[in-house]
Amino acid sequence: MSDLVIILAMNGLVWGLIIALIALGLSIIFGLLDIINVAHGDFFMVGTVFAWTVILITGNFWLAFLIVPLIGMLLGSLVERAVIRPVENSAALSIVATFGLSLILQEAVRATFGATPKRILDPIGVTVPILGLDYQVYRLFAAAIAIAAIVAFFLFLHRTKFGTWMRATRQDRDTAIAMGVPSNRIFVVTFGLGTALAMLGGVVAAPITTVEFRLGLDVLPLCFMAVIIGGLGNLPGTATAAVLLAFVEGIITSFAEPTTARIFSLIFMSGVLLLRPQGIFARSTR
Amino acid sequence: MGRLRNLEPMQILGLLGALFFLTAPYALPLVVPGFWVNITAEIMIWALFAASVNLLFGYTGLLSFGQALYFGMGAYGVALSIEFFHFSFWPAALTGIAVATLSAFVTGIFAARLTWHYFAIITVVFSLIFFFFAVGWKDVTGGDDGMPFTMPPVLKVGGLELSLLDLTFQYYFILAVVGACFGMMHLLLKSPLGYAFIAVRENTARAGLVGYNAYMVRLLSFVFSGFFAGVSGVLFALFSRYASAHFLFWTVSGEGVVWAVVGGAGTLFGPVLGTAFLIVIREELSAYWEHYLLVVGVIVILFVTYAPQGIMGLLRKAIARYARPAAGDGRGARP
Repeated sequence: MSDLVIILAMNGLVWGLIIALIALGLSIIFGLLDIINVAHGDFFMVGTVFAWTVILITGNFWLAFLIVPLIGMLLGSLVERAVIRPVENSAALSIVATFGLSLILQEAVRATFGATPKRILDPIGVTVPILGLDYQVYRLFAAAIAIAAIVAFFLFLHRTKFGTWMRATRQDRDTAIAMGVPSNRIFVVTFGLGTALAMLGGVVAAPITTVEFRLGLDVLPLCFMAVIIGGLGNLPGTATAAVLLAFVEGIITSFAEPTTARIFSLIFMSGVLLLRPQGIFARSTR
Repeated sequence: MGRLRNLEPMQILGLLGALFFLTAPYALPLVVPGFWVNITAEIMIWALFAASVNLLFGYTGLLSFGQALYFGMGAYGVALSIEFFHFSFWPAALTGIAVATLSAFVTGIFAARLTWHYFAIITVVFSLIFFFFAVGWKDVTGGDDGMPFTMPPVLKVGGLELSLLDLTFQYYFILAVVGACFGMMHLLLKSPLGYAFIAVRENTARAGLVGYNAYMVRLLSFVFSGFFAGVSGVLFALFSRYASAHFLFWTVSGEGVVWAVVGGAGTLFGPVLGTAFLIVIREELSAYWEHYLLVVGVIVILFVTYAPQGIMGLLRKAIARYARPAAGDGRGARP
């Protein structure tokens, strides 16, 4: 029993770090473009499918870590120009547009990749003893990659000119534009980056989940939970909330049904939305 | 004819629409095969669902992504009360509607406090809570597989027994209920409360200043919307003879939003057109191409990009272009 708790808690932690990665992408899109991207979970799903495709073509899983985020960047930028730009001033229309996008992504994958779920073999295939239990090394590696990507993203946001522009645009779009920040370029890059994060999350998660076209449907609510509980626009809060949520859900799953764990976190999230819409980590300003 | 020419474009459209909706649906079972009668019945049910989304979004300015909750509550209200409590038809249907309306009231108390993104998200969250509940509580709800139930007769007088198992009768039954609901919605929207919805949508602060309690207005709109969604859920459960946890999933809510927006949010019949358009596309295309959803996705994106007012907006433009020169007295010449 206690073994199971440790395994599920560790799995929750690893999964939480991956969700944190994806949720960061959702959060910057939400914070900067002010749109709810319903297709974000599907970009994650497309990431897992591309990881599978990279293995199919090159036989090398590790190449996916390089190729897929680049494809994500490109795909995201294209989508921003073609789909998001025309509706970016209307919150409601943008939700509907991304819902259409979500249909297209899912159906495109179903048409090409197929409807049957597929599995990717553990690319490391080694286990290490942790607290007397054999644990997949790949999961530890996945956690490390997720942490590295999150740190790199924060460095980009705080140490580069583009990152500063992005933060400025999020704080006050009009002033930023008046100061000469190229807002259109910022939007393209933000959406591209957000998509790349989701697809990178897909590559990281591919060997520890099944690859199928409906994968995004479950991940999307989790990411929104992290974004809301962590606080809109509060990126470190989002990452922390994602890890905490998955960790707690992992522990609850060890003695109850997974659906019970999910209901628990959803009720917690409604409480946060109603009582502390700025997120649980925000200082009590505003 | 002279009077007709002086009508505003929208009035012409309204007259044509009313004429169509008052005649065509009744004649339908006489002229088309049973398959399309059933599709039309399904369209009417989903149109009512889309209209419930539209009541909140188009008129009150609140985008709900959780209408599936009240749809599912209505469906399960009927299914459970027939299967477990052996209710007859009418008590079961009324139970479904009551359960949906009540749950809209309880969740609305919280949801109506929020607006914008936060409103959209909390409505999804509420619907997801009950979705996972329905998935987890498989013994009662049937989970993802759903729970079928046996259909009680609608009316049984002596030797006469009317049941929805008779597809023509089912069609007229659904037509009557959906028609009555749209009539109610029309009256609601033309009532002072209906104008209060619009006032809150247009400018919440000003609506508050002239004496509306914006929270109460939003809550009332939410409850009415839940009621209509509940009726559509009851009808759909009766129509498909089962209820499933999937009815509560957020993609169902999303479809309602898409139908309302493609048809034209903020108009009474827009959701009907949007639902009819997309379901007919589904039925026509899915026969030839399994992946017709790709086309639906593209259509949705094209609509929000090039025709954000939906089919109604397109019709309005087309009619205005045709009617303006004929009117000639400058009535249609508003900017």
